[in-house]
Amino acid sequence: MNLTEILRQLSEAEGVSGCEGTCAKIARDMLKKYCADSHIDQNGSVIGTLDGTGENAPHILLDAHLDQVGFVVTAVTEEGFVRVGNVGGIDMRLTPAQNVLLHGKRTIPGVIASVPPHLSGSGEKVQDVTDLLMDTGYSKAELEEIIAPGDRVSFDTPMQLLQGDRIAARSMDDRCGIAAILCALEQLKDAQLSCKVSVLFSSQEEVGECGAETAAYSIAPDLAVAVDVSFARGHGDDPVKCAKLGGGPMIGISPTLSREISNGLISAAKRHDIPWQPEVMNGTTGTNADRFSVSRGGVRSCTLSIPLRYMHTPSEVISLADIENTGKLLAAWIAEGYYAE
Amino acid sequence: MQNEHLKKLCLLCGASGNEGAVRDYILEQIKPYADSITIDPLGSVIAEKKGAKPAPKKLMVSAHMDEVGMIITYINDDGTMQIAPVGGVDANVVIGRPVVVGEKKISGVIGAKPIHLLNSDQRKALPKFSELYLDIGAENGDAAGKLVSVGDYVHFLPGYTEMGGGRVRSKALDDRIGCAIMLTLMAQELPYDVTFAFLVQEEVGLRGAKAAAYTVNPDIALVLEATTAADLTGADGDAKVCALGGGPVVSFMDRSTIYDRELYRLAFAECEKMGIPCQTKTRIAGGNDSGAIHISRGGVRTLAISAPCRYLHSPSCAADLQDIENCMQLTAAMIEAVLR
Repeated sequence: MNLTEILRQLSEAEGVSGCEGTCAKIARDMLKKYCADSHIDQNGSVIGTLDGTGENAPHILLDAHLDQVGFVVTAVTEEGFVRVGNVGGIDMRLTPAQNVLLHGKRTIPGVIASVPPHLSGSGEKVQDVTDLLMDTGYSKAELEEIIAPGDRVSFDTPMQLLQGDRIAARSMDDRCGIAAILCALEQLKDAQLSCKVSVLFSSQEEVGECGAETAAYSIAPDLAVAVDVSFARGHGDDPVKCAKLGGGPMIGISPTLSREISNGLISAAKRHDIPWQPEVMNGTTGTNADRFSVSRGGVRSCTLSIPLRYMHTPSEVISLADIENTGKLLAAWIAEGYYAE
Repeated sequence: MQNEHLKKLCLLCGASGNEGAVRDYILEQIKPYADSITIDPLGSVIAEKKGAKPAPKKLMVSAHMDEVGMIITYINDDGTMQIAPVGGVDANVVIGRPVVVGEKKISGVIGAKPIHLLNSDQRKALPKFSELYLDIGAENGDAAGKLVSVGDYVHFLPGYTEMGGGRVRSKALDDRIGCAIMLTLMAQELPYDVTFAFLVQEEVGLRGAKAAAYTVNPDIALVLEATTAADLTGADGDAKVCALGGGPVVSFMDRSTIYDRELYRLAFAECEKMGIPCQTKTRIAGGNDSGAIHISRGGVRTLAISAPCRYLHSPSCAADLQDIENCMQLTAAMIEAVLR
């Protein structure tokens, strides 16, 4: 499998929270190769299963979220600008003069209005989302034929190949988690599994892990791993809070996570010489694992995170090796029964 | 053809002092039409084109080739790089953006600490250039040093997109618009001899214009530009400054120049005659090469003809192609009118 190409397709697929349709179809098509039953559930999540052999085989859930942060159209002004609200956590510092795509009846390009230095006084401040104006070139009447309140808006940044195996692209949070699970499935495709595996590409993580909440109830797994992204150290960042980009998957350790799974993942990584890094948290994790662990009567859950720089910006930077190693670690953990530790 | 020139020019990287790629394109385009071409010591292109008649006065039409950008000032041990703006660039249109670095066009991004790691005060604080850095994915400072050097230019990632209503979004519309118009004019039959100057280093203090104006020694100058439009929802009346779709912008005064009163009136009269819209700037803001040209030697009668442009000095400026066409029409008419 060509990982860069998979990431490119997933990055360019539209999927702002609640409107994951385009991305869900692409992710489902990618999953079909491994899970013949893959489908999109009523909440917009993609679900597929790999059957294991044996009585009382444990049921493992592997999850990555489909959705990306973005904007939702709230109004079109008399002058033909589009007003929006945010969907998920948007860094308002970097919105001026940002390229966007508006997904209406058709997708049209636009740019978020900025005040140039020629006019900005010293009193300029970071705008509120309700101040943003999106410029598409169209008049109000023309826009109303294309765009309606509720339509989503996403960043429009092309993928860039950086040095080594690093890539900058939009929506790597959490499309690279999807790619890592596909890497794991590729390695597991000929394995005889003694567990049942469900794969979930969940909707609406960025707005409160809603897709994970509902899908976990339906799937009812015994164990769950949320494969998401976490902070990789940028220049001047705190090494306590951030991992090393290219340093391998970050294994979650937290009072809310299953220490058995954390330890099982660590054992698998050590046994297979897969680089890894601990990600120690002191409570909830801000990922779908928070939902899985309290689903139904409780599910042993853990996080496995891919280091990523510049989270929630239009240029999120990841290392391909981290994604591959995340897939490798998941495959080893499942194939060799480390989940039973 | 003018729109084609504009697109190609916008996709070239040419921050101030690094105008080579833009100059090369222009030289290739004007070769068949110019009667003489000189490249001055700073890198500006001065091209003479003979018209049907010798001009009674010397007319210079100019535009600047350079765009705003950034420059690498330091390579950090962790492989990232410190950057400084070249020209007036706000840090908030740089943060989190894709860029291309140096001669080899290495891909990079300007890093932004994720909002998850910022407190509420930090989230509301405008970023400063000193807090930003460039990331090309280099493993460490030594690896970065093999690929880039301090002094290398950093450009916004080129991308030219047609939007609705005949409008375009791109970096560098300021002032590739002026360059594209001059390429159109040079390919036409002209009524009088005209000197065309494609200038360097406007964005760092009108420096190319100062030297070239001395060399050309014109009596009259027309400066083709892109000027700031703020015609957004919430900006009423004069706060719009000027508006897209409103036609060429002819200013009476800005931060660098008080324009020639007769030329100012003549421009409006010519537009009225041709039936094209024309507007002035309703705020005294910005400046352009006129600031250097109008005080060159003993003084030059100068007028700027500008296309209104939103989000100036950002990776995504927006302009109206019909405005640009009308600026070209007005400039052609003014060449005739000022020399008649």
